[in-house]
Amino acid sequence: MGKIMLDGHAIPFKLGDNILQTALEANLEIPHFCYHAALGSLGACRLCAVEITPKDSGKAPRVAMACLEPSEDGLKVSVSAIAAQQVRQHVIEFLMINHPHDCPICDEGGECHLQDMTVVCGPPYRRYRGRKRTFPNQDLGPLIHHEMNRCITCYRCTRFYQDYALGNDLGAMRLRNEVYFGRFQDGPLENPFAGNLVEVCPTGVFTDAIFRQHFARVWDLKTAPSICPHCSVGCNTLPGARDGTLRRVRNRAHPELNRWFICDRGRYGHQYSEHSARPLAPRVSGTDTSYHDALNAAASQIKSTQDCIGGLGSTREDLEGNAMLQALLNNLGGIFTAFSDPKLETATIAAVSSLQNIGNAPSLAEIEQIDAALIIGDLTAHAPMIDLALRQAYRKGAKLAFLYSSPTPLAQFATTAITVSPQEMCTELSRLYQLINAQSAAEDITDTPMTDIAASLMGARKSLLIGAIETMTSQEVSTLSKLATALGSDTKLAYAFSGANAYGAALLSPTGSAVAMLEAVEAGQIRILIVAGNDPLGDSRFGTRWRAACRNLSALIVLDCILTATAKAADILFPVAAWTERGGTFINYEGRAQGFATVFHRPEYLPNVARVITDLAQYLGHSLQAAPSVLGDIFSDFQIPKPGTTGSLITAPSLPMPATASAHSIQESCNSTWQAALASWYGDEALASFAPGLMALTPKTVAMIEPTSAIDAGIKNGSKIKLRGSSGSMVLSVRFNQDVATGTIAIARNVLVQLGVGHGDSLELEQVL
Amino acid sequence: MNNILKELQKDLLHLPRTHPKRRAVAIPAMQALQAELGYLDDAAIEKIAQITGLSTTEAEELATFYSLIYRRPAGRHTVRICDSVCCSMRGADQLLTAAEEYIRTPLGTVTPDGALTVLPGICLGLCDKAPAALVDGEALGPLNDASLKALLQRLQQKD
Amino acid sequence: MEALLTRHLDPVAPLNLVAYQATGGYRSLTSAFDLKPEKIIGIVEAANLRGRGGAGFPCGLKWRLRGADAPSPRYLICNLDESEPGTFKDRYLLYGGPHQIIESIIVSAFALQAERAFIFVRGEYAKGGNALNQAIQEAETAGLLGTNIRGSGFNLQIEAHLSGGRYICGEETAQINAIEGKRPNPRHKIPRPSTHGLWGQPTTTNNVETLINVPHILLNGADWFRELGVNGGCGSKLFCVSGKVKHSGLFELPCGTPARELIFEHAGGLDENRALLGFLPGGASTAFLLPKHLDVPMDFDPIAKAGSRLGTGSIIVLDDATCPVEVTLNLMRFFARESCGFCTPCRDGLPYLTQILTTISSGSGRADDLALLDELCATIASQSFCAFAPGAVMPLVSSLKCFHDHYEHHVTTGRCPFNEANKNGA
Ligand SMILES: Cc1cc2nc3c(=O)[nH]c(=O)nc-3n(C[C@H](O)[C@H](O)[C@H](O)COP(=O)(O)O)c2cc1C
Ligand code: SF4
Ligand code: FES
Repeated sequence: MGKIMLDGHAIPFKLGDNILQTALEANLEIPHFCYHAALGSLGACRLCAVEITPKDSGKAPRVAMACLEPSEDGLKVSVSAIAAQQVRQHVIEFLMINHPHDCPICDEGGECHLQDMTVVCGPPYRRYRGRKRTFPNQDLGPLIHHEMNRCITCYRCTRFYQDYALGNDLGAMRLRNEVYFGRFQDGPLENPFAGNLVEVCPTGVFTDAIFRQHFARVWDLKTAPSICPHCSVGCNTLPGARDGTLRRVRNRAHPELNRWFICDRGRYGHQYSEHSARPLAPRVSGTDTSYHDALNAAASQIKSTQDCIGGLGSTREDLEGNAMLQALLNNLGGIFTAFSDPKLETATIAAVSSLQNIGNAPSLAEIEQIDAALIIGDLTAHAPMIDLALRQAYRKGAKLAFLYSSPTPLAQFATTAITVSPQEMCTELSRLYQLINAQSAAEDITDTPMTDIAASLMGARKSLLIGAIETMTSQEVSTLSKLATALGSDTKLAYAFSGANAYGAALLSPTGSAVAMLEAVEAGQIRILIVAGNDPLGDSRFGTRWRAACRNLSALIVLDCILTATAKAADILFPVAAWTERGGTFINYEGRAQGFATVFHRPEYLPNVARVITDLAQYLGHSLQAAPSVLGDIFSDFQIPKPGTTGSLITAPSLPMPATASAHSIQESCNSTWQAALASWYGDEALASFAPGLMALTPKTVAMIEPTSAIDAGIKNGSKIKLRGSSGSMVLSVRFNQDVATGTIAIARNVLVQLGVGHGDSLELEQVL
Repeated sequence: MNNILKELQKDLLHLPRTHPKRRAVAIPAMQALQAELGYLDDAAIEKIAQITGLSTTEAEELATFYSLIYRRPAGRHTVRICDSVCCSMRGADQLLTAAEEYIRTPLGTVTPDGALTVLPGICLGLCDKAPAALVDGEALGPLNDASLKALLQRLQQKD
Repeated sequence: MEALLTRHLDPVAPLNLVAYQATGGYRSLTSAFDLKPEKIIGIVEAANLRGRGGAGFPCGLKWRLRGADAPSPRYLICNLDESEPGTFKDRYLLYGGPHQIIESIIVSAFALQAERAFIFVRGEYAKGGNALNQAIQEAETAGLLGTNIRGSGFNLQIEAHLSGGRYICGEETAQINAIEGKRPNPRHKIPRPSTHGLWGQPTTTNNVETLINVPHILLNGADWFRELGVNGGCGSKLFCVSGKVKHSGLFELPCGTPARELIFEHAGGLDENRALLGFLPGGASTAFLLPKHLDVPMDFDPIAKAGSRLGTGSIIVLDDATCPVEVTLNLMRFFARESCGFCTPCRDGLPYLTQILTTISSGSGRADDLALLDELCATIASQSFCAFAPGAVMPLVSSLKCFHDHYEHHVTTGRCPFNEANKNGA
């Protein structure tokens, strides 16, 4: 490894790095705008001017751009040389010609790269005496505010948006000093990663419109390292709060997970914690009360019962909360599970079990390096940042293959995409398994899409099999894991779980406990149910049964930070701290345990779940150990990961692969020809659905049907149909869509809930004239 | 839709979404559509996007770069008067002022009768005919106040 | 010297294929196909044919540096975007004789073993582009283009791309982006377009005038070509003369002919026989020269030595009734308007210069403005992304030097010494 001499210091460099990268790597700042670690060099801003003296030639020093000059051994580089300083000062002066001097009212204040650079490089006081060029702004939707006059034309926004995130509705228009970054017409940015523009832009052109509604100066924000609670990827975040309210969430780099970016759900979903309907006071039988009285009420209910007690944890509840609830139930001799949906429980446990057998899921950084992937279902909504990582793999030439039932944005980059109805997914996966197992795919002369997939997976250097658990059955999971084994060690397996701590929840939930609990409640054997961060009554597939079953309860005790259907129905409700208001641990899709810290406290007393359970135990006369030691008992040598560190893989006893029940036992009575499929979108998640900004972008509620099967059934595009499920019916208009499997109707989650059907369940369809 | 566009559309129909040809024909497609419409309104940009498979924003990125792709209405006849160095030395600036006065419409806009758009342009490669103009693509020069007025008058009467 | 490149040009009725062949057209194909491509490159190199697009890079060397082992497909681009103020030679070539262009592309593409060629035609030359397309079709029908041309085993397809119109599209890498249908910002030139050009493939770009010399070199030899020049120049050169001269026009003369001969003999001298104030020797993006430079041979190295560039060989003449500040302001407006907007010094620096010049020209300039202009030009010229901005400030920097007194006068008196009457109507 060679070294460059940077203002007299020997700085080692990686081969292929340029001078700017070398300096930044060594924590030495060379002023720059257009260079961005994720986006690379462009050479447009011309701010990173340095003076370069070639090692052993008599050549005079020259000023050049550090981002475009490769580091070479012995190269002498000076940032401080007068000639370089002069260039940087001129560049700043040029950039400030048209920049509005609106710093006092600019949302970027305090973290403005332009301001920092202006101060560092100059300050070149204004010499320009002409008029400023001005631009109109665009309405880019509820999440991002546009202020074009502040633009310094570094092209970071379009390079991120078009090149990195593969969006196509933000671009650079016009030319000369009128280059304009915007959309063809006003309207919300469509890319699920658009919010990163806020951080990518070095000045205040793109700012956080949600933060803006309740602005605080950034140096007044309280921050602490946190983990995004909105999916199982576990992106690292830096929330900022002020005066007892959460104002915004930003990316916090994790070297193997999210490095520079997070998804819009992660950035804007936090509004759930400021939602006007958020429960903030304990409630007993519909009336607000004190924490003490609520604990008393709960304790007396529990004490008075002879029956079994159920404890329903959650995949979005942290490890501590789930473990404490389980500990309490152990003490009380009740049943615990973290899953309200038995199908989801088996699928999740099957997935964790196969990961334990086959090897850990790859990190996002590793996913970016794969060259072939098979993707089952939709990742954009279930693990947005895995979608973004796969976009990077695609940019490098990876072949992406899809088996999916309903539209998924990532499929636009597919090499092979096959729509498969939910009920046939398992068969198709088995077919693929046979193709690969027989090693015949390569020679197979029938060149079907499926053999293409087999061939591309078998021919890959590094491949990935990944599925969205929420729309998979345990059989599919086990077939996929067989596939991974057949493909060998160059193939990685991963799942997008449902819930930030689904992996952890699975480790704590015995197989079959969800169905056991549901049946026990239905049979009246469980008369008291404690629900922590779960929403059984709002479940799409099992909600109907849970709602009926819960009528048997003498007390429904709910702990949550959002007002779910279950929380609304609670007899005793304990509002708990939201994720930014407490510390805890999540286990992400890789099995990585990551800690998050308390960012701030609200004025109300909002304990976390573990605290409420500990207090409740005390009121019941039990004394529970503290969460760390409870966890230490379950997972040997478990250390609670420190917030702000990279976390570590959890070691847990192997889960048994659940025995596979017949695929569609739930609704066999219904002999309809149509199946439901979940049409997901990236804002669709339990917590985020309480975030008004994101929800303003909810796609129109329609029934998406594949054109040929619709036409066969005499259904017209745009016509109205009535869909009926176990708990109700709904009239929707039909939207033809090629990305829906034959015989399948793709509908949004709220429609599934209303109809009482899950992904893959049968549906009755009636035409409305 | 004219034949050139139809041909282009047919060519692209079965190409993959990311095929480089889709971009490469964007400007020819715009030129063909503009030949028909006189300028490209928003609907035309949408049409280009539909034919090429680019997004409307991507089409707009290109359309707004070029000086000969008009995103604003143009008259039935366009008169581009060169205002670069050689023509300017030979009186182009006065010609432009005279033209603006004569048509009583600002440069770059359409006369109320829809007949004319007069606009300044960069060097037309007609420096040997300075001051020169490109009238509906046809080179003219050298012009003077009188010949320009006569020209504008003639164009206004032509359809 | 007998006209070589312009001999058969006819802007009114350009020769069709048959007529062009009757003048000896397409004869060079036979010579070319008999030779090995490397051999042709060697001949072009020996002829010392330098690029006519502005930079004067030796054509043979450029071809050789691309490498014979460059991977397929290989592309040749014929640059016919001509937008440099003062330059109109390529227009004559296009309108006057499309077959000459096609012939030269065929032999050049053969030398480069390029299977596809693009002619990037300036948008304003649409009519010429149509005629060119017709000529391409004629050539295709006659088997001069397509597969296995005249049994040589060589395949070539030519496409004309009509530009959407912008000066920057003439720049090699911006042009590549334009052809690909991307925004025509210039590209970083590492890796070089010769290896990573159009769609990432080896691509060679030459000005149309450069290329049309190639058939003649093949037919007559390198020595013959070199000897066409005078005063050390090589070959024949198309010179444009415009501005304040009696007979603006295109003149084909030996490379190395001095400006004095061009301006005073061929262009008939200055309007109203006024005195010469100065001239731009190679188009708008070159430095001003003064009457004392009239005898410098119009060739790449001598003009560079005199402090300017031969550029496109397009002389723009200023007489003593023309305000050089006004002319320079016009040039800067042009460049500020045509900047692609990619890099900061060009995008924001040129309008800054224009603004200062405007105040000076309107009489409200300040004494320190002249030093400020110099200071800003230094950064803009040396630190821009492509060659546009360095070219753009060249006339300004030289104008500040050559016509310093005029600037001083504007700043100190607050008036332009050339009153309106002198600004000369058409
Ligand atoms: C801003 C700019 C504009 C240019 N415009 C043209 C042009 O219109 N025609 C041209 O042939 N070369 C033009 N060039 C030069 C080309 O980049 C390229 O060097 C040339 O076409 C190579 O051909 P040659 O080697 O035969 O001269 C331009 C260069 C710059 C920097
Ligand atoms: S991918 Fe998941 S964890 Fe990451 S920011 Fe988005 S919702 Fe949060
Ligand atoms: S035009 Fe942008 S720097 Fe050259």
